[in-house]
Amino acid sequence: MRRTFASTLLAMCCLLVGARVCTVRPGGTSITEALAITMECDTIRVLKGTYREGALTVQRPVVLLGEGWPVIDGGGTGEVIVVNASHVTISGFVIRGTRVSDMNDNAAIKCIGVTDIAITGNRILHCFFGIHLSNVARATIADNEVIGDEAVSETRRANGIHLWKCNHVYILRNTAIHHRDGIYLEFVTDSHVDHNTSAYNSRYGLHFMFSHRDSYTHNLFHDNGAGVAVMFTRDVTMTDNRFERNRGASAYGLLLKEINDAHIERNLFTDNTVGLLVDGCNRADIRDNRFEANGWAVRVFANSTAAHYEGNVFTGNTFDMTTNGDLVLSTLQHNYWDRYRGYDLDRDGVGDVPFRPLSVFALVTERMPYAMVLSRSLMVNLLDQSERLIPTLTPATLEDRAPLMRPPTPGTPTTMNTKGRTAP
Amino acid sequence: MNRIAFQNLGKRYGKQWALRGVSAAFAEGEVVMVIGPNGSGKTTLIKCLLGLVRSTEGSIAVNGTVIGTDPSYRAAIGYMPQLAEFPKELTVEQLLRMMNDIRGARSGSTDDRLIASLGVDALLDKRISNLSGGMRQKVSAVLAFRYRPNILVLDEPTAGLDPISAGTLLEAVLHARRNGATVLITSHIMEEVQRLGDRVAYLQDGLLRFALPPETITEVTGESVLSIALPKYLAQLSPVHVEGL
Amino acid sequence: MWKVYKYTLLDLARNRFALGYAFLLLLVSLGLFLLEGDDTKALISLTQVVLALTPLLALVFTIIYFYNQYEFTVLLAVQPLRRQAILRAQFLAITTALVVSFLFGVGLPVIAWTSNAIGWTLLLTGTALTAVFCALGISIAVRQRDRAKAVGVGLVTWVLMVLVYDSLLLWLLFTFSEYPIEPVIVPLAALNPIDLSRILIMLKIDLAALLGYTGAVYQHFFGSFGGMVVSFLALLLWTVLPAWGAVRAFVRKDL
Repeated sequence: MRRTFASTLLAMCCLLVGARVCTVRPGGTSITEALAITMECDTIRVLKGTYREGALTVQRPVVLLGEGWPVIDGGGTGEVIVVNASHVTISGFVIRGTRVSDMNDNAAIKCIGVTDIAITGNRILHCFFGIHLSNVARATIADNEVIGDEAVSETRRANGIHLWKCNHVYILRNTAIHHRDGIYLEFVTDSHVDHNTSAYNSRYGLHFMFSHRDSYTHNLFHDNGAGVAVMFTRDVTMTDNRFERNRGASAYGLLLKEINDAHIERNLFTDNTVGLLVDGCNRADIRDNRFEANGWAVRVFANSTAAHYEGNVFTGNTFDMTTNGDLVLSTLQHNYWDRYRGYDLDRDGVGDVPFRPLSVFALVTERMPYAMVLSRSLMVNLLDQSERLIPTLTPATLEDRAPLMRPPTPGTPTTMNTKGRTAP
Repeated sequence: MNRIAFQNLGKRYGKQWALRGVSAAFAEGEVVMVIGPNGSGKTTLIKCLLGLVRSTEGSIAVNGTVIGTDPSYRAAIGYMPQLAEFPKELTVEQLLRMMNDIRGARSGSTDDRLIASLGVDALLDKRISNLSGGMRQKVSAVLAFRYRPNILVLDEPTAGLDPISAGTLLEAVLHARRNGATVLITSHIMEEVQRLGDRVAYLQDGLLRFALPPETITEVTGESVLSIALPKYLAQLSPVHVEGL
Repeated sequence: MWKVYKYTLLDLARNRFALGYAFLLLLVSLGLFLLEGDDTKALISLTQVVLALTPLLALVFTIIYFYNQYEFTVLLAVQPLRRQAILRAQFLAITTALVVSFLFGVGLPVIAWTSNAIGWTLLLTGTALTAVFCALGISIAVRQRDRAKAVGVGLVTWVLMVLVYDSLLLWLLFTFSEYPIEPVIVPLAALNPIDLSRILIMLKIDLAALLGYTGAVYQHFFGSFGGMVVSFLALLLWTVLPAWGAVRAFVRKDL
């Protein structure tokens, strides 16, 4: 409905500014002919039908507008639509029929070395790569459904939305499922990834490297093979995302690897094997997130420094925090821990004794994973309780000096200015 | 036919023989007073008969059948233990109904005279836990006689009873004898033994020294009172001599 | 047998320890559900309580009840009843009473607050554990001459199964950490009925963590329907074997 309205609006605009529209319908002019450099129309309406014209190449600025979900079928020969021109819009199509290849990154829509691209409201079905942008500046990829083939094995899958060396890209409200990586960004800067859903991908829901100054908000990542991986990047902002049910031997909700100055706020981590894995990160500000029913809510590798955890809620996790080393350079404050059994005599909402989130049993399983079989046994409980009273094995420095007595109410800022912050 | 026949009965606990080489037979209508010092094997003998203790050697025949794993012979036995305990939370009436159930007895076929004569009818809706020791003994006595057994085993039956109830109980014993029941009674009260017993079975160190009518003992020793006659008679016996079987 | 069962149960229905047990469990369950803000969290705490408390109370109660009933058992044994039938009836009656107490004290709150997979597994394993430890209790009671000694043996059994066994497992893991001991540990743990029950519940609570390292082994075995069946058969065996041994010992016992 909204899409029809949008395309109608677009068509009206074209008419108002005197756009030249040509119409493609089955049995009439082909899309290839309409795209030809000599054609004078700048908007091509493609009506309902199935078009099998092999790979289409867009070589001039044009608006490609599907009406009634026309199907563009590449026929499995290679790419489906290759955009070699700037100022191109592709909207309203069902696109399928890429060829799986080890040599070439065949994609449903591929844009190379261009600017000002809009790919909106398409359905990309069972393709190798879905939307593939390389060397693109200023692009919008919005409201697309990029759906791979569930039956295809991991080795024959490629990424749903794949960007390489791009800047100023908006990736909004897309759905990417059953691909290798749902959304893949490498060398992509100053971009925004918002309100997308990425699920059931065999590797990562979202995977990005060397992509500075990007923000990721309100996305939902669930049931991906390994979760979300953020690597070798600085100044990342990730807020209001949900990381759910990423479960498996090396799965996590969110992996931060070699990340500097990240802001991880108001995210929800539920039911992941590891909620948040912090590996070699500096100055991460982890704030107001909710970790619920994860195996390990947070795993911090000892090579990380100066992470600050504040206002987070830890509840129903098997382990709240673990680390593989002795040196802990993280600070914790004003988090809510469901395991906390302290008291609050001055009734300021903050517990009077510190909480140590790292249990002995967590350390034991770190060394001997099979010790998990003893989880929640009386013996382990006694072990953990006694260690909490008299820490001997766990690093004494890793503690929340001011744990919250009650989980903060959603929507209210948890940072307590009265107490001040021990800044990272 | 003998009601009860012990044949070379022996019971060993560890290395200790509690009972050894006991052979005796008791006929119908006979009241047998089982006496002897503490630890002489009285209780073991009774328990073997009741099937509570498995004998080490020998056999017991009840009503002509050698007892083994088949529990049905116990239907012919009424037993009154020294100290009776019942499920504490049941009422006396429930207990009586339960025993009827277990015995497979129809109401009306039971001998309920003791219920009235011992005053148990006033206790019917009381819980066992609220009964005194004597009251419990009365209930126990009722149960022992209730199913018209032809063998009665009474372990110190009058010990916890008031004199009147004790008399009532002994009256019941005599009545049972008239009806042909064989009654085994352990007792320390010599007057009782002399007055009731058709025979006195004397156990010592697990051996049955004799099983004779009380008159025989008084006659042999020339004493009229059994409690005086008994030590004299024992003194005449050689240590392992067994007589009268 | 059913006559003895019926009247023993009737007696147990008014037994104040059985009633106290039911209300103690109810109190614990209600306390956890009412005080704990999060129902799942309360359920997890309750699981811990049930795994430790149910075996202990089932053991001790069975032993004490057996000795309280001893004279009456003797009275039953002189009736024309088979010894086997007497003990079986008593065992079943005690188990029934404690299971009903458990389902009243834990079952009602769990169903009222959280009738999810964790809750149902807790009720199933709690019931199974009650039966297992009634069986162990009666087999201890039958074999010991006096009550105090039997209760002592019961307590030692409980400590062994709830604490020492797990400590031994952990020690094994540490000692043989250089060897591929992993495949042995899970079956070893499953040999202990308390551990087996705990694993069955843990599979529902800590699934995310379990899938991390050892997921394949756990999930494929215990998580499958067949694994559940095998697990509960194992618990059944833990009930039947001690109970059967107790009956055998009782038949030969001099009362």
